[in-house]
Amino acid sequence: MEATTRPEIPPGTLYMLILKTLARAGSMHGYGIAQSIQQTSENVLQVEEGSLYPALQRMLVKGWVEGEWRQSENNRRARYYRLTRQGRAQLARELREFNHVYAAITRVIEAV
Amino acid sequence: MSALVRRLKYLFRRKEFEREIEEEMRYHLTMKAESSGEQNATKQFGNIALLKEDSRAAWGFVWVDQILMDVRYALRGMRLNPLFTAMAVLSLALGIGANTAIYSFMHAILLRSLPVPHPEQLAAFTWRTPKRGASVVHGLNGTMYRYGKSGSESPNFPFAAWEEFRADHSILSSLFAYVPAYDWNVVARNQAEVTRGMFVSGNFYSGLGVTSALGRVLTDEDDRAGAAHVAVLSYGYWHSRFLADPGALGQTILVNRIPFTIVGISAAGFFGVDSSIDPAVFLPLHSYALFARDPGREERSRFLDRNFYWLEMMGRLRPDVSIEQAQAVFGGMFQRFAASTAATAREKVSLPELHVEQSSGGGDSLRRQFEKPIYVLMTMVGLILLIACANLANLLMARASARRREIATRLSLGAGRARVVRQFLTESVLLSLFGGIAGIGVALWGVRSIAWQLTDGREGVILRADLDWPVLGFTIVLAFFCGMIFGLAPALQATRGDVAPSLKESRIGDKRVRRRPGVSHILITAQIALSLLLAVAAALFVRTLANLHSVALGFNPDHLLIFNVNARQAGYADEKLARFYSSLCENFGGIRGVRSASLSSFPLVAHYSDDESFTIDGQSGKKLRSWFVATDASFLETMQIPMLAGRSLNARDISNPRAVVVSEVFAKKFFPSGNPLGQRIRIDGTDQDLEIVGIAKTALYNNLKEETPPQMYLPFTFNVKRLGGVWFELRTAGDPLKLAAAVREIVHHFAPSVPVTNIKTQTAQIDESISQERTFANLCTCFALLAVIIACIGLYGTTAYAVARRTSEIGVRMALGAGRAGIVWMMLRQVLVLCGIGLAIGLGIAWESSTAVASFLYGVKPHDLTAIAVAAGVLLASALLAAYGPARRAARIDPMAALRNE
Repeated sequence: MEATTRPEIPPGTLYMLILKTLARAGSMHGYGIAQSIQQTSENVLQVEEGSLYPALQRMLVKGWVEGEWRQSENNRRARYYRLTRQGRAQLARELREFNHVYAAITRVIEAV
Repeated sequence: MSALVRRLKYLFRRKEFEREIEEEMRYHLTMKAESSGEQNATKQFGNIALLKEDSRAAWGFVWVDQILMDVRYALRGMRLNPLFTAMAVLSLALGIGANTAIYSFMHAILLRSLPVPHPEQLAAFTWRTPKRGASVVHGLNGTMYRYGKSGSESPNFPFAAWEEFRADHSILSSLFAYVPAYDWNVVARNQAEVTRGMFVSGNFYSGLGVTSALGRVLTDEDDRAGAAHVAVLSYGYWHSRFLADPGALGQTILVNRIPFTIVGISAAGFFGVDSSIDPAVFLPLHSYALFARDPGREERSRFLDRNFYWLEMMGRLRPDVSIEQAQAVFGGMFQRFAASTAATAREKVSLPELHVEQSSGGGDSLRRQFEKPIYVLMTMVGLILLIACANLANLLMARASARRREIATRLSLGAGRARVVRQFLTESVLLSLFGGIAGIGVALWGVRSIAWQLTDGREGVILRADLDWPVLGFTIVLAFFCGMIFGLAPALQATRGDVAPSLKESRIGDKRVRRRPGVSHILITAQIALSLLLAVAAALFVRTLANLHSVALGFNPDHLLIFNVNARQAGYADEKLARFYSSLCENFGGIRGVRSASLSSFPLVAHYSDDESFTIDGQSGKKLRSWFVATDASFLETMQIPMLAGRSLNARDISNPRAVVVSEVFAKKFFPSGNPLGQRIRIDGTDQDLEIVGIAKTALYNNLKEETPPQMYLPFTFNVKRLGGVWFELRTAGDPLKLAAAVREIVHHFAPSVPVTNIKTQTAQIDESISQERTFANLCTCFALLAVIIACIGLYGTTAYAVARRTSEIGVRMALGAGRAGIVWMMLRQVLVLCGIGLAIGLGIAWESSTAVASFLYGVKPHDLTAIAVAAGVLLASALLAAYGPARRAARIDPMAALRNE
């Protein structure tokens, strides 16, 4: 492993990032999700494959996303993920919780 | 819920999911490579195998894969060690097979429910009297169990009691009654045969909840005095006799010459209320009187006499009623009933007490006969399984020791201890499941041969033991737990502690390892002790059997054919019946190869007995009691029972029965000082004196075990009113069974409707009478042999392993001048010590526990020194023999080679 100084994705937020990305883009393959998170975060967040794919599998089990095999933009077969109704509800829940915690943390660290 | 569905979908399409994940990653890699222009994006991708494993883990079925992996690994290990595998599977197959076989009998006899709806609601009624004495039971027809001083027990009740009980509807939804009949002469489709039947009350079928396979079952309408004569056949009888022809309905069968119309066939698989009695024909209870010689009198005594006990009853409890409530209600009811029937004050003192018992298994004749033997056998096979499992543990432990380096390597590379233990358990459970499967084969064979041995020839016993689902379930569970329990200890031991020393140690000869076999020594000692128990039991039963075989019979059983003929059921009666038997006997005497023919009321040593009380003329009317057998003139001659004084019965005594021959025991008991010859006796209830004309040497009577009682040989014409079926005895020149066809031909010629039954040799009859002892001796010998073999397999394995472990030590000893004999002795000494301890413990347990089987023994005490010495000797010799092979191999070790190995 090269010594990169990229910060880790905070624990517990990966699901939320994936769900949000899919909510925005409609449907996307795994590589696309990783790219999108990296670009949108302006190269601050990089999703490791080692956590992305197991996370996607877990989300499949939970029924938050569905997979579908399609031709990709460069004419290769790829699995595209799409949010389900449950996934959308989960995203809302996670966002609410995140904002709640984020606001709390902000209050703590900005307190004089 | 849907998550579960998705998971299950994954489980069944794992291959596909796997492929998809792989493809997805390939796509990811390609895209990454293209975007970065790098050729070897793999480097940055990290561990693909790990990634795949993590993705799989998401679905929660990793354990399935791991189990499959463990199973594959275990199978490979077994293939690589065929001898180890064979030894373990063989020991377990024998142990589990023996258990399954005995358990299937236990299940069939003690545990299985009747094949009717809600058998748990059935309640059986019996009564017990505390002691013998004046009783309201003036007459009894049926089964009676006597417990000596502690009283007696019977399931039979008067008709009036049944009617009173029936009237109560608060406890029982139904109370039905029945009477088994053992030998009916049934003529169906013009063929006569003797079969079992049953008289049942009209509510019998509705109470049990049994329907008909065809036609209808009996109802209350059929069970009335004067109702039409109707019968229901059992499904099995309808199949064998009418070839399942629906046209059987409406046909007429003759039961003891009385016509009955078939109205229905009972449901398939229904055998009544006692699995040992399988009635072919069911008749309404009220037809009972038709069979008597005087139906009017019979009807009065059966249906009106409140002191005549003859009906068995069973009730179905209402769903919300407990057996205790039933006991309380009917116990009181029966007490009032019995008290109201007491004729004297003394009868009122010892009234019978009612017992209501839950009876989901139905009648208990088999239970009474086999319960204790089955518990003894179950204990034995349990011990065998323990010995076999000790082998499994020992073998696994030896193997674990051999794999210490491998396990240490796995542990140090990060394998979890639980994971390694699970791998061990997979192997042991797999071994025992294989053992279980092979054991089912052993059990199939075992069940068949045990059933055959227990019941051979005896028409009275039907044993329904087969390997059905509960039994197979028992086997699988047993095998699984054997593997779990006896695999766990070696697994824990192997994965315990520090891995470093194991990695460092050389392959053989580390001093530290020598402490290890502590557990295996304990196991061997236990095996020897348990084997000794079984060997002692076997020796005791074999001695019992030998004693029974050497009992002096007092007659010659060789070349003797016996068989049963009952012509009364075919319509012969009294004098005509006696003449018919006499002429039959004369004709049998004329068969080529018959030296002498005779008849008697029953054969000797066949568990038949009959007794009469009598007075001796001139002895002030003192009532005496003696057993007897009614015979013709040639019985003593045919049986070759020698006369001690006087003469035997002759033809004149048969046509004019005024004489009797008595046995030596009879003479000694009733005429201790005088000469019985010429004395007169009178049997109670007759008005005819009998003169004692001869004294016969004592011959065995009822069975081999009991002391021979005083007995008389009465002319069979003495009481023709009581004359029913008789047995014939033919003394032959050659093989007795070859004459069976000639016998049947003669009987058929004289009376086609009279069947010949129970054709056998007297020797077979005697063997039959001790079939339980013989089965016991055979089974115990087999089991003891099995135990010794399994223990020896274990001993061999452990000694061989010890030799392998101590190779270098032995090499050093030999290099320092130890002789070969010394080395052999060194190895055997250990075995001797283990055996010595095992034998001492086993002796102690045997001494304490052998009294439990005292009731099965004959002519040998439970603490028989010969039996114990033989058992211990055989065991010690086998143990030394098993250990000698490896020990001798130890002595052949080349010291140079052994030391070079270090």
